Amino acid sequence: MRIVLESVTVRFGSRTVLHDIGLELSESRVGVIGPNGSGKSTLARLFNGLVLPGEGTVRVDGLDTSEDARAVRERVGFVFQNPDNQIVLPIVREDLAFGLKNTGVPRREIPERVERQLEHFGIAHLADRPSHALSGGEKQLVALASVLVMRPDLVVLDEPTTLLDLRNRNVIRAAVEALPQQAVVLTHDLDLLTGFDRVLVLDGGRVVHDGKPRTAVPWYVEHCS
Amino acid sequence: MTPRLSLYVPGDTPLHRVPAAWKLAALLLSGVGMFLVTSPAVLGPCAGLAAGALLSVRTPPRQLARHLTGPFVVLALVVVAAVVFQSAATAATVGLRLAALLLAALAVTLTTRTSEILDVLERVLRPLERTRLVNAAAVGLAVSLALRFIPEAFHRFHEIREAQAARGLSGSPLALLVPLAVRMLKSAEDIAAAVDARCYPPPPAARRADAAPSPARSPAPAGRTDEEATG
Repeated sequence: MRIVLESVTVRFGSRTVLHDIGLELSESRVGVIGPNGSGKSTLARLFNGLVLPGEGTVRVDGLDTSEDARAVRERVGFVFQNPDNQIVLPIVREDLAFGLKNTGVPRREIPERVERQLEHFGIAHLADRPSHALSGGEKQLVALASVLVMRPDLVVLDEPTTLLDLRNRNVIRAAVEALPQQAVVLTHDLDLLTGFDRVLVLDGGRVVHDGKPRTAVPWYVEHCS
Repeated sequence: MTPRLSLYVPGDTPLHRVPAAWKLAALLLSGVGMFLVTSPAVLGPCAGLAAGALLSVRTPPRQLARHLTGPFVVLALVVVAAVVFQSAATAATVGLRLAALLLAALAVTLTTRTSEILDVLERVLRPLERTRLVNAAAVGLAVSLALRFIPEAFHRFHEIREAQAARGLSGSPLALLVPLAVRMLKSAEDIAAAVDARCYPPPPAARRADAAPSPARSPAPAGRTDEEATG
């Protein structure tokens, strides 16, 4: 899947959050790093049409996110930083089924797909648990499962390990590494970027470095810390 | 401690297997029926039947007692009031009627998932969509979100209260409610984005034909098996 940004500028009121970004992403693993407020989350939200550019265009496999947001969202899954705000239904099983119902998956197929996804992450025992009663790591796994069950071609993960303890961070890290899909990962966890194909460094709403992890991470540490 | 809004207990009893729509329709009809009947000789067996249905769910006795204690205390007060202000016969009628309804309703909620209840609600409301005054899917989602986020609001309320107590603030409802409202509104933006990101609302075709074949996209990206594509 190819994401192409052409001269994209995003403004929130009088504040310009992203300045004239031009990018083409087709690698299997892309990392996005940068200081807080550098525009990482806004950039990620452009990829599935949650944020639309004020100027320029964003195309996902040729689809313009401003015109085909729904088709784009069926292809691009988005895992939010805080799973408390991503899990929208009261029971785990219901939350996983939510996206499937929205995309018109036949009802008789839904329970089996939900079950398989939960088993894949080893959390089938949580299926009938209330979402609010899960631990932080369990919530993040459920949030990831609720996106993957929709079988997107690309997954965007917004700081998936930020709110987690070391053990859960390792669990999520392993899950991210094992994704067969293309993935764009926004993170402050620089170890997570090992083995990535490409890393973008954002600062002040601009891409200030673009390269392999072995060059981008040291550049970021030197210039942005 | 956060409140638990869904009482559903997973299981495979006969009552679990009855479709939600039937259970809710039976509850509605029996509720109306019991208000038309005034004879304790009829209401007594009804209450016994409801108790039997509840016991068939095989919920642990301690859990059952926890669910029933509060409502039965209120019921006892109502019965005592009826004896004092009306008659023993009226008290028996009221007591048996309410007990039967309470036991039957608990049996239904223990064996029916929230999602199933909401599906029934959506199906009942769907014909009203023609009036353009009701959006059944939106009503279903709104109720689901309320069930999901009431415990969350309760949790955040406690966090704010603890944070304020730690700084010596206590007893001011305004100081509690304003930050709670701000936090919940901030969350609402993220929740709306999360709902959008998962392709809500469902296309009209998907809402109409529950069993219709999946449109448009192939089930998994080309070159990957279904098993791989699930995660």
